[in-house]
Amino acid sequence: MSTPSAATLQSPVFDPRDPDVVLSVQNVSVKFGGVQAVNNANITALKGQVTGLIGPNGAGKTTTFNVITGLEQPTEGQVWIAGTDVSRLAPYRRARLGMARTFQRLEVFGTLTAHDNVLAAAEFRRAWSKDGSDPRAVAHEILDRVGLRGVAHERVDALPTGLARLVELGRGLATRPQLLLLDEPGSGLDETESVALGDLLIELAAEGMAVLVVEHDVDLVMRVCDRIHVLDFGQVICVGVPREVQADPAVQAAYLGAET
Amino acid sequence: MTTFLALTTLGIVVGCIYGLTATGLVVTYTTSGIFNFAHGAIGMMGAFTYWQLSVAWGWPVWLSLVAVLLVGAPVFGAVVERVLIRPLHGSSVDLTIVITLGLLLFLIGLANVLWKPTEARVLPAFFAGATPLQIGSLSVSINQVLVVVVAIVVAVGLRVMFSRTRVGIAMRGVVDDPDLAAMTGVSPARIQQLSWALGSSLAALAGILLAPLVTLNILTLTLLVINGYAAALFGRLKSLPRTAVGAIILGLLVNYAKGYTPAGGLLEQLQPAIPMIFLFFLLIWIPAARLRTSSAAGTAAPTVPGLRQSVLVGAALVLLAVVLSQTLSAPNLLIGGRAFILAITLLSLVLLTGYSGQVSLCHLTFVGLGSYAMGTWGGGSLVGVVFAVLLSVLAGCLVAAFTSRLRGLYLALATFAFAKAMDEAFFLRELGEGGTLTVQRLQIPGVATESDAAYFLLSAVIFTAAAIGVLAIRRGRFGRQLTALSDSPAACATLGVNTNVTKLVVFACSAGLAGLSGALFGGLQGTVSALDFNVLGSLSLLLALRIGGVNTITGALFGATCFALFPTLQSHVPANLQLAYLLTGLAAVSIGRDPDGFGGQVSKLGARLRAVRGTPPSAPSPSTASRPELEEARLVHS
Repeated sequence: MSTPSAATLQSPVFDPRDPDVVLSVQNVSVKFGGVQAVNNANITALKGQVTGLIGPNGAGKTTTFNVITGLEQPTEGQVWIAGTDVSRLAPYRRARLGMARTFQRLEVFGTLTAHDNVLAAAEFRRAWSKDGSDPRAVAHEILDRVGLRGVAHERVDALPTGLARLVELGRGLATRPQLLLLDEPGSGLDETESVALGDLLIELAAEGMAVLVVEHDVDLVMRVCDRIHVLDFGQVICVGVPREVQADPAVQAAYLGAET
Repeated sequence: MTTFLALTTLGIVVGCIYGLTATGLVVTYTTSGIFNFAHGAIGMMGAFTYWQLSVAWGWPVWLSLVAVLLVGAPVFGAVVERVLIRPLHGSSVDLTIVITLGLLLFLIGLANVLWKPTEARVLPAFFAGATPLQIGSLSVSINQVLVVVVAIVVAVGLRVMFSRTRVGIAMRGVVDDPDLAAMTGVSPARIQQLSWALGSSLAALAGILLAPLVTLNILTLTLLVINGYAAALFGRLKSLPRTAVGAIILGLLVNYAKGYTPAGGLLEQLQPAIPMIFLFFLLIWIPAARLRTSSAAGTAAPTVPGLRQSVLVGAALVLLAVVLSQTLSAPNLLIGGRAFILAITLLSLVLLTGYSGQVSLCHLTFVGLGSYAMGTWGGGSLVGVVFAVLLSVLAGCLVAAFTSRLRGLYLALATFAFAKAMDEAFFLRELGEGGTLTVQRLQIPGVATESDAAYFLLSAVIFTAAAIGVLAIRRGRFGRQLTALSDSPAACATLGVNTNVTKLVVFACSAGLAGLSGALFGGLQGTVSALDFNVLGSLSLLLALRIGGVNTITGALFGATCFALFPTLQSHVPANLQLAYLLTGLAAVSIGRDPDGFGGQVSKLGARLRAVRGTPPSAPSPSTASRPELEEARLVHS
């Protein structure tokens, strides 16, 4: 167990009502029986930035995502999305505030085609937002954008994992979120695809989206992230820009410790 | 006071028996993760076998007990585990439900073959001749004392076994973590087999103790043992002490209710259904399971025909029906009509189970409500159809609203409890035990529908229209939403879908369609009785659809045709051979090997034919063989 590093202490305190703060996880703890999966974590994702959430396996990253999206109840702490305390809201209500996510263990609509996955999401968005958008046009645009045009009419459970992850990304984008949570989007992609994914994330942030990404590919994380949170044993041990995080001794210890 | 004491005694005795059956259920569930719906039937078989040995063949009591409890039941449990349960490791919850339901029906069918239901049998109580104990004004029979003593001995024995013996500790290890247990040299498969043997013995013991208190009747006994399921759920299918407490509460509840509910009125009507109502509410209060999917590999989704194709095939079907209506004999017209009407019921299950992935074991209840509405208020008018649909939709909404958080096994159990409770508290009361309700045939102004031929044609047309409608739903926005819900409820929720509403809507639609088929069914038969809507019928219905193929129209039609033909087949074999139960059960058990069913085979065959002819299928439907993850799933199955 490591103590919070200097970088954490120096990180600015964010007001969850600040319009630039799209996601604010405040003092969240999760216990499974006797196991402390997340311990008093504070995580912030800002508008127009790619925020990284990294850490060794079992550090509590996916659990944190589940707490943010409402699939898991925290033992303590609050979650704010776009200035609203959503701690007591059902998952679908949180999503309607403009949040979408992908899953580490795939949760695609496997018996539908890639196109229909994205189309379904666009239809959901239209049904709850009543924005009058044309789901088919949205699906068309997004399939092009994430590079799935070629496999649009393949059933998703017949696609390789990497492409299925892109389907989840496209599905999330089809709801036009202001906050996008990506759980290991790069695993299963080859190098070219991974670079394209990085470019896309930077582009999305530039358009004003807040992106929070869990990723093991260090090169990808260092390239695309504006700020990085490091989780170890459920605790945020470090927050900072990529350069700071790489230099942090606690982070190095956590990763080296995990490898030996 | 005497009444109270007598009821309390009886409550504890019945509670002890519930405890025995529930304990067996929990032991098998915890080690194998598979809920044994056939547990009740195993208890029934145990009691009948014991009767056969001790009464019919005159074996001594002790020898008969040893033969049933220490030889017959454990061997049976071990064989079931080896043949049916072990291959299910890693398959979807739905499949495990279907397999054990199949076993339940098969055993009931088998019992009917072995022990003619027309013959009366009496299983004497143990120590029947002995004078009852007198405690003050209370008289307690030796048999009752025996039941309590046996239950206590079993409870203490299990406690010692799980805490002191190697085998018991190994069992607990397997429950906690099979892989870890395997590493310490314990064979999880062996332990699982042992627990099924133990579970079967406990079920048989409960059956033998229960039989003298009631009559030795196949259905009664099976359903009574099933009441014990509620106690197991009180223990959350995990804790044996909690299960015991649940069993005693249930026993007392049932007997106080029997003794104290005033005659007439709603309470009296609800009284026989108390165990199932208890079960239903226990399930509702079970802590919400996290929204996760477990379906690693779904069944192959067949190609969905387009509107043109479905209308063309539909027209051909109607034409065929026209020809048939002119040529078939009157009895065959009835069979044909029955097939089409059942096919409408199965269509409602295609919508619910096939498309949205929710299990329902109460669809015959909706059918029954449809018949009831048509018979009571409809009088054969179109308004009657509206009543039938509305009543079923209402019931469907109620079930869906209460069970919105439940999935898989818990949803299956809750709908099962609802069906059984409706059976006991509504149909048996309203239609009377052995009584019937007259239902008029639907009359459409300007169309003659009264004759068998015309009614057959009408059923065919309505089925065709419903099938085209269901396919249109499948292709459209709502269909995508249902598929999405079936494939990943968690993803749906994080995309802003209120999955409870989706479930409610699909449940209502499905119940409505079932209600419509009920209105038609009543008219076809002329009269309906409570037996037509028995909960076991609902099980057969789901199984028929699984056999046909759960998400295809072909599957619905095929399953319904088989089902409609059962009575005819039945007339060609000895009356005691309950073909409907035997065959459905057998076939359901066999689909453990091929979850796609008949309809899935047809769809695959079509795809293969198209491939041979060199034309690409209209929409890509990758054959199962080309999907590595399905390959893997198959390996696990076999």
